[in-house]
Amino acid sequence: MAWRSRLTPAWTVTAVAAAAVFAVDLHGLLATQGTEVAAYAYLGTMVFQSATGFAVWATRPAFNPLGPLWAISPILRVIENLPVVFPTNEAAATFGNLLVGVGAVMGAHWILSYPTGKLYSRWAKVWLAVAYVVTPATNLPYVLYLPSWLYVGPAPFSFITYNRVVLVAVVLPLAVTVWLLYAQRLRTLAPGARRTVAPLMIGALVYAPMWTYLAVRQLWDSSSAFAIEQAWLNTCFITLFSVLAISGLFFTRRARGVVGDLVLDLGRLGPGGVRQALARALGDPTMRVGYWLPDRDIWADENGAPFELPSGDHHSATYVGDHLAVMVHDPDLLDQPALLEAVRSTAAFALENERLRAALVAQLVELRESRARIVHTADEQRRRLERDLHDGAQQRLLGLGMVLQLLQGHVDKNGGPILAESKAELQRALHELQELARGIHPAILTDSGLGAAVRTLAQRSPVPVEVDAVDERLPAPVETAGYYVVAEALANVAKYAQATKATVHIGRNNGFLRIDIDDDGVGGADPSGGTGLRGLDDRVGALNGRLRVDSPVGVGTRVAVEIPCEP
Amino acid sequence: MPTIVAFETMGGMGFTVLIVDDHPTFRRFARRLLEHAGFDVVGEAPDCAGALEAAAALQPDAILLDVMLPDGSGVDLTAALAERSASSMVVLTSSRSAADLGSALGASTFLAKSDFTSVAFSSLLGRHGLA
Repeated sequence: MAWRSRLTPAWTVTAVAAAAVFAVDLHGLLATQGTEVAAYAYLGTMVFQSATGFAVWATRPAFNPLGPLWAISPILRVIENLPVVFPTNEAAATFGNLLVGVGAVMGAHWILSYPTGKLYSRWAKVWLAVAYVVTPATNLPYVLYLPSWLYVGPAPFSFITYNRVVLVAVVLPLAVTVWLLYAQRLRTLAPGARRTVAPLMIGALVYAPMWTYLAVRQLWDSSSAFAIEQAWLNTCFITLFSVLAISGLFFTRRARGVVGDLVLDLGRLGPGGVRQALARALGDPTMRVGYWLPDRDIWADENGAPFELPSGDHHSATYVGDHLAVMVHDPDLLDQPALLEAVRSTAAFALENERLRAALVAQLVELRESRARIVHTADEQRRRLERDLHDGAQQRLLGLGMVLQLLQGHVDKNGGPILAESKAELQRALHELQELARGIHPAILTDSGLGAAVRTLAQRSPVPVEVDAVDERLPAPVETAGYYVVAEALANVAKYAQATKATVHIGRNNGFLRIDIDDDGVGGADPSGGTGLRGLDDRVGALNGRLRVDSPVGVGTRVAVEIPCEP
Repeated sequence: MPTIVAFETMGGMGFTVLIVDDHPTFRRFARRLLEHAGFDVVGEAPDCAGALEAAAALQPDAILLDVMLPDGSGVDLTAALAERSASSMVVLTSSRSAADLGSALGASTFLAKSDFTSVAFSSLLGRHGLA
């Protein structure tokens, strides 16, 4: 067992001391005639609480110092009891009287620091500092003026008066303030910690006034009946506290059970389900997981999108590995370090896988973006080239044509045919230039949009084409991709389909531009063959779109494109 | 050659034309061609803003208007021009073909620059009852 290795020297020494104290007390009780059952019960409950504390100390090192407080407080209470069991023993009187109340202070410390060993309020720290100093200090007269190792002589005052002064000046203020601290802790409990801590805190709120009442009454009532009653009450409450504290820790998510479920979940949910599995294990549905992408020096989510680390108190970050992943969760979970630790170590491997996946997704996103940029740049260049042809060469040729017209009246009859030939040649050049410019980039697409551009394509097509298109303007890359797909598809219809007609439908649907080009031709087109559509797949893919070719033999061909396109 | 006679007559009547185009080469040669055919080219403008101003000031009989101007579309400009100069007949022109411009032209009168001659221009005007 792993916990055996956690039996530290401090644990071992304390455990041996505890065994010795309990054994001595038991020996004393057995040797005293007429010992009440209540005394044995009290010892029994102290042994029980101490043993529970030792178990927690050994198995929950993360909750330090809860375990030690839990284990040591009952030992002190038993030592405090020794002067009663051994009335003539000076050692018992020395330790026992010096420690009166210290066990109770440590019990309060234990309750206030439950369940993590950490104190939740600044006032609790102040209270404990005062109580740990003042309590033994007020005990000094018991060892200085009563028979003990430190005896100096008879007391210069009445112990009855002294006890009452201590009660009013020290015990009552401490009792009232600790009660307020319990109340404050209960009131400010984080929702996640309520189930764990509230029962113990409510018990403490009941016990503190009762303990105070018993302490006060003890000053006036020295009857054995009251002593028995007091022993039973303390026995019952301290047993109850141990049980509440153990069940509370049980509620702080049984880390091992959670780990078992987590392992199953990680296997079952597979890639992408890691966050979900972790959220379930931690009981925090809002938790998020970020992954470190070393290539890009950023945190990203499982889809490669940038991930923001939390700022402020609403979320806490728990890091896994050295720059591997980070779990951002409800800060209440910090009260359950064992759970966080268990989940963290269990999920490390799955998180490493998930990180690789996130890195891959991020790379894909980057690749897609760079492809889109390349397509966009190429389109821009083509548009500029078309513009340059239009503004440059084409204008000069048009000017030349006009010059030739002006020449008309100035040439003799021999020059006439040459002029006519020149004009015809110029017309051909202009026509070719126009075709070239149109092929580079259709100006109508930029000027009037996809619908208008597709209608001019349809007009030029040798096969009759019916166009049903929306006329709204779309982002330039979407219009360009759509145009080239329609142009290529209609060219294929003219070349291969032997169709009598074709239809082009362009519409917007659920944030997509959808284009369908149908013909009634022979079908059997192979999209992976030399249809030219394959190259357009890249262009459509760069925009996150999809291109499908459906071409059953004898039925016709449908080319369908969907491109995401927000309104 | 009856059409030539027709536009000679037109020229003789002092038929005024405004040329709107952002290419100075085209404006220069179009002016020479039209003036040679007897038209009275009363103004030139390189853009939409200039066209509106000139049309209002000159009230030309015809406006030869480029479809694509640096500050807007010639097609969109026709309505505004009709407002400024109600009697002007607008002939759209472009170095692109009518097919390339598609339905954007609508019902406008259009003459491609590659087909531009004074004969074609005046026959278009004649077809619309101005000759």
